[in-house]
Amino acid sequence: MADTFDVVIIGGGPAGQAAALALALAGHGLAIAVIDEPPRPGGQILRQPPAPFAVSNWLPGRSYDGLKAQLARFEALEGISWLGGHSAIGLVREADGLVVQASGQDGLRRLVARRVLVAAGCQDLAVPLPGWTLPGVYAAGGIQAFIKSQQIVPGERVLLAGTHPLMLLIGAQIVAAGGTLAGVLFAQPRQTMIANALRHATAAAAHAGNLAAAASAMKVLAGAGVAVRFDTALTAAIGNSQVEGARTAAGDIACNAIGLCYGFVPQSTLPRMAGARVQTAGPAGGWATVADGWGQSSVPGLFVAGETTGVAGAPAAMAAGEMAGIGIAHSLGLIDASEAQHRAGPARRRHARLLGFARMLDAVADPTGYLPAPTPDTLACRCEDVDFATIDQAIATGGSANAVKLATRCGMGACQGRNCEPTLLRRMATAGRTDDTGFTQRFPARPVAIGDLAD
Amino acid sequence: MDPGLRRGSDGEREPDGVTHKSDVLVIGGGLIGCATAWRLARAGAQVTLLEAGDINAGASGQNAGSLHFQIERRFIENGEALAEQAARIVALNRLAITDWRGLEAELGADLHVSMAGGLMVAETPEQVAMLEAKVRRESAEGLASRLIDGDQARAVAPCLAPQILAACHLPDEGHADPRAVTPAFAAAARAEGADIRTRTAVQAIRREAGAFHVGTADAAFRADRVLIACGAWTAHVAALANLHMPLYPVALLMNATERTAPVLPQLIQHVGRRLSMKQAYAGNILIGGGWPSRLAQKADGGFDLGAKASIIQASLAGNLRAAIDTVPMVERLNLIRSWTGVTAISADQLPIVGEVPRMPGLFVAGGGSAFTLGPTFARLLARAMGGERVAELDLLSPARFEHLNSFMG
Ligand SMILES: Cc1cc2nc3c(=O)[nH]c(=O)nc-3n(C[C@H](O)[C@H](O)[C@H](O)COP(=O)(O)OP(=O)(O)OC[C@H]3O[C@@H](n4cnc5c(N)ncnc54)[C@H](O)[C@@H]3O)c2cc1C
Ligand SMILES: Cc1cc2nc3c(=O)[nH]c(=O)nc-3n(C[C@H](O)[C@H](O)[C@H](O)COP(=O)(O)OP(=O)(O)OC[C@H]3O[C@@H](n4cnc5c(N)ncnc54)[C@H](O)[C@@H]3O)c2cc1C
Repeated sequence: MADTFDVVIIGGGPAGQAAALALALAGHGLAIAVIDEPPRPGGQILRQPPAPFAVSNWLPGRSYDGLKAQLARFEALEGISWLGGHSAIGLVREADGLVVQASGQDGLRRLVARRVLVAAGCQDLAVPLPGWTLPGVYAAGGIQAFIKSQQIVPGERVLLAGTHPLMLLIGAQIVAAGGTLAGVLFAQPRQTMIANALRHATAAAAHAGNLAAAASAMKVLAGAGVAVRFDTALTAAIGNSQVEGARTAAGDIACNAIGLCYGFVPQSTLPRMAGARVQTAGPAGGWATVADGWGQSSVPGLFVAGETTGVAGAPAAMAAGEMAGIGIAHSLGLIDASEAQHRAGPARRRHARLLGFARMLDAVADPTGYLPAPTPDTLACRCEDVDFATIDQAIATGGSANAVKLATRCGMGACQGRNCEPTLLRRMATAGRTDDTGFTQRFPARPVAIGDLAD
Repeated sequence: MDPGLRRGSDGEREPDGVTHKSDVLVIGGGLIGCATAWRLARAGAQVTLLEAGDINAGASGQNAGSLHFQIERRFIENGEALAEQAARIVALNRLAITDWRGLEAELGADLHVSMAGGLMVAETPEQVAMLEAKVRRESAEGLASRLIDGDQARAVAPCLAPQILAACHLPDEGHADPRAVTPAFAAAARAEGADIRTRTAVQAIRREAGAFHVGTADAAFRADRVLIACGAWTAHVAALANLHMPLYPVALLMNATERTAPVLPQLIQHVGRRLSMKQAYAGNILIGGGWPSRLAQKADGGFDLGAKASIIQASLAGNLRAAIDTVPMVERLNLIRSWTGVTAISADQLPIVGEVPRMPGLFVAGGGSAFTLGPTFARLLARAMGGERVAELDLLSPARFEHLNSFMG
């Protein structure tokens, strides 16, 4: 089955929604499809509870208001083909346009589009440390996703550890959802965080609102008696068949869930698969898709917006999505250049301002030098059970990331290397190999049943 | 590679800017190059191997890992004459069976070699007739293949579909791990003193006063004999010596499922459809069989072998359909990866292996199923490069294309 669209948007988060809204404004009757893995739109930041669950007080807080308003406008849009519960697993340029394969419970759909926008967001940096494969060790974002979508806190005593200030917000959300925190541990000293923030003082001043959110989260944590420690590195998760505690610079801490929060990496699998140019992303690693001021990537017709181009927070993703929507409208001849400039002006100015804040956050949250040290038997790739001793040995022979993958199976599993690629590249960089372009991205971006793909 | 390990022919580290001398220079670090380097080094030759990228980064590390010793489907789908000629390759297949049986012990390495048998299946009466003709040819060449009916085939491999009417069974067939084989040859070659240099692309080949001068971006090499074993790039590299070599790049599709419990110890092929299936030691089922991918193209025409080949959707859908029809249980397994690998086929389908008459001392090896046959090519080539006449290679000699080089060299 081939469906033809003017525009296919991958990702129903703030960036994808903003692009759809800008496009709808520019051209009536445009055929637009939006593919998103969760059943309902919202993206990472507004992950919605499944419709049948009535969750009271869903995501309270002023900082979500603008995002929620946009989500409401997006859900009210008519004429959009919403493909929730679908994964885009392939993206190629073919003679008749860009082809996106979307896999869902109803099988595989082949969507042909004149323009494709990838607004696939970011994911938590996977952080291998001794004991990280024990049940009960999560990415902090995983814990947050549980809370947002189902109001469930996994574990009775949760420890958050890492370098990213988002831990404060997630901690406050855990408290608000009725969970108990064993503590929030920042690996870096408080003074380092402050010094890094001060180097971006203008940005900090311009975003007092965001800082206030952090401050009020601190207050919530203090009110609940949660210790927020600095200069306190997590070194291992301990336990037999399940997390029972955390080994830290301040001694062992009892807990039965650990949320790791060292930063975020862009989801750029699809643009890379299509051959788009990428560059190294922020301090946490990963690849940011390169785009011009309208979101046009190096592949004709392929646009990118939001955190696929670099992690900068939800309001910035929203602004970038709007710019990309306008850019696509212009590239389709719906509006002329000066109209496009005019319409994009406010979003462009907002985006520039927000990027300043994002750079400050990058500096404050920078995990460089604070990531836990793996032992030789710590797994680097958990899909294929490849440990650090094995990858170190392969790196020592001088091969590329692809050669290490071939030699060790690191990155050959179901996640396609999304989790271990930053780990491997960091390890190679330590060995002096900073020029590697990472794993060749292979089809499919997500596992898919053979039966769905066959003739 | 640690530059401290680079050794010249006198065993000392040499500064760059001098000519590195050796008896033999091998170009290409795939299976054929590494295995030949090992055989030659073991026989006492001073060997240098130059590889443009990483060892095993070409077809040798991307292939399906099938050890197929029955006559391949591609040889019998293009008419009698070709089938007749191709039948003669069976003599080499028989040598390869012996070579593979001894390889792990000889190299002292675990290559995940499994020779639990292979079945080439038929679904229609016409296909059964093709199998019958094939078995006749194979027995005439001394291969122990045997035609069995559908039920017998399912007794051997219970996962086969009910509509399989017959199969040609060869107990020696199987598979090995392409990830392991070529690196093991390279390690063994190094252990015998071969000088293996990666990220070293050959850019010039010149023959002067009976010796070869080979240049890379920043070094010069001199050797009495040269082997070009560059897979899909062989024609390009032969061109550096002003020679034609009728080897053409082809991009093929491979697919891997998620891991699953052991269900398929055999190699499965199909006589009427493009298909090869096997379960790798890690549990993934590999599905291939020669479905085409699209080679990247250069703006001015010609293929760009440096860029990734792309998947043709119809190939993917067709390959997986053939797999489901043959082994139905794969239908509900997840595909976790499809990839494309680039290999070479020759103008007449048979591999090209041996000395180029137009340029004595220059050897080439490439084309065909050189995972299965590579270790055998290497063993025979090492003897030929040592000056012996090796009759087993006559069938594959580049001499059959000598007319192309009448005006070259
Ligand atoms: C755990 C976590 C917590 C965060 N918390 C904050 C925060 O508090 N404040 C903040 O400003 N930012 C936060 N961020 C960053 C946040 O992701 C963004 O700011 C914002 O959601 C980015 O919007 P986006 O549209 O670029 O991507 P997203 O909102 O992530 O939307 C992308 C969507 O694309 C979908 N998708 C991805 N790949 C595919 C595919 N192959 N097929 C189909 N669908 C696909 C995803 O499922 C997702 O729904 C957080 C990020 C993470 C990972
Ligand atoms: C998808 C696929 C599936 C296959 N399945 C099977 C199978 O199941 N069974 C089977 O028997 N065969 C199979 N084959 C064929 C088999 O893989 C090849 O015949 C075999 O690997 C060729 O080995 P090689 O050493 O000749 O070439 P390669 O492994 O391609 O090595 C050539 C090397 O030369 C290097 N090189 C190129 N140019 C230069 C230069 N200028 N200087 C230095 N080095 C250079 C390249 O970088 C490369 O590493 C398959 C092939 C593919 C692509």
